[in-house]
Amino acid sequence: MSASLRDFIVDEVGVGLFAVDRQMNLLLWNRYMANHSGRTADQVLGHNLFEVFPELPRKWLEKKIQSVFILKNFAFTSWEQRPWLFQFDHNRPITGGIDYMQQNCTFMPMKGENGEVETVCVVLFDVTDAAIYQRMLKDAMRRVEEASNRDGLTGIFNRRYIEHALTTEIKRVKRYGGSLALTLFDLDHFKKVNDTYGHLGGDEVLKEVSQRVAANLRETDILGRYGGEEFMIIMPATDQEQAYQVAERLRELVAAEPVIFGEINIPATTSMGLTLQADHHESAADLIHEADLALYYSKRNGRNLVTCYDPAVHKEI
Amino acid sequence: MSQTLTSDQKDALQEVTNIAMGQAASTLATILSTFVTISVPRINIPEVSEIGSAISKMVGNGKEVTAVRQSFAGHLRGEAIIIYGQEGCRDLADLMGYDEDIDQSAERELLLDIANVLIGACLNGIADILQTGLTFAPPSIMAERVIINSLIDPTQLTWNNALLVEVNFTLEARNFSCHLVTLMPEDSIERLKQAIDTFMENF
Repeated sequence: MSASLRDFIVDEVGVGLFAVDRQMNLLLWNRYMANHSGRTADQVLGHNLFEVFPELPRKWLEKKIQSVFILKNFAFTSWEQRPWLFQFDHNRPITGGIDYMQQNCTFMPMKGENGEVETVCVVLFDVTDAAIYQRMLKDAMRRVEEASNRDGLTGIFNRRYIEHALTTEIKRVKRYGGSLALTLFDLDHFKKVNDTYGHLGGDEVLKEVSQRVAANLRETDILGRYGGEEFMIIMPATDQEQAYQVAERLRELVAAEPVIFGEINIPATTSMGLTLQADHHESAADLIHEADLALYYSKRNGRNLVTCYDPAVHKEI
Repeated sequence: MSQTLTSDQKDALQEVTNIAMGQAASTLATILSTFVTISVPRINIPEVSEIGSAISKMVGNGKEVTAVRQSFAGHLRGEAIIIYGQEGCRDLADLMGYDEDIDQSAERELLLDIANVLIGACLNGIADILQTGLTFAPPSIMAERVIINSLIDPTQLTWNNALLVEVNFTLEARNFSCHLVTLMPEDSIERLKQAIDTFMENF
């Protein structure tokens, strides 16, 4: 290959190419780098990379390049962790949200006659398109999730759905009368479960408890995951006595047997709080607030307990 | 067709890997400015159906792991996987030129960096001794916080054999160790065997 052809390719290849020696002095700066940085090869060649571009993350990048010299091995950076090395504009002005050209870089060791690395050559790829597609994909996944009624981990209803269902039930009672109970429950010491058995252990507990509770509800009850380890049960046409019985049965059922995680048994208990729909409740939030207060008292009184909300006792926290 | 190594080839590969890893340990020590211990590598060529269980056995059944994969090409081609235990390599952040507190994205970058360094050190070492060269593609996160037993789905593997190189890295005074697994298709294992034979003749 002729030298002029090589030079042509280096300049026109459509990716950024530059090279440094052990002192971090620039040995190569192709047209792509010149066009995007606004510094021509004449201006930067022979100069220290970090003096020409003081905005570069020197400590980290120098270590990275030095490792290529010493280990004689490729090194890489990815836009997913480090969106860019150089603050270059990208050519997608219409697509908002992305500030600079997203870059993947490959650092290649170039060995001399003696087998030592004398030059590190860096290839800089513009991956702004990939970054934009990935963001679009994430947005789409989020919308799909929003449109779904189910919680991904446990398979029971998600928060969005259960809140909507509660609002509907409250409206129904307000209009047609009847009773409505709401139970909130929460796994005891769940953070400790995660810390002790890992997040997978914690996930297993969430799944198993959801399944046990779901399998033992009455047909008209609605179970949903309200938060991280917090669950909600809507109990239509249920008075306090009945709601307490159901909740108590579920509490015992969870506590009766540990959750089996591989070869480990993880004990799990729940604290529950329940309340009834009354005329003074304006919205779902009022009802949830009361159940939450009762739940708080279950926690305070030793956990693994069901508490019915009583306005005289369960005051604001 | 399944590939097996003769015991002489296995010994030689073990020795080649051992030399390569010894060199890797010393260069890593230079980079990280800390003492690096590398276990004597253990070589195994399981059948595709046994790869998963062989890896689980190596790392420990039921363990939660994070894995980084990286493909390589040249005279030998294949994919290398670094398997980190739950503690990951957060502890190495300062050694790799990061500031002390790292967020999730910096942690991922660190996992990728360390994997790249370890895989490169190991495979370049083997390639050097066998007098061949390799090129590497960027590493990527293969799985985060999964049970080791579900890391590799044998039905997804198109190759019949894998070369399992079990190496443990331990850093002095650091909470860090990991495993390296190399998967190569049959033609590469065949080439590797030829290269080992040549190496043994000249040794």
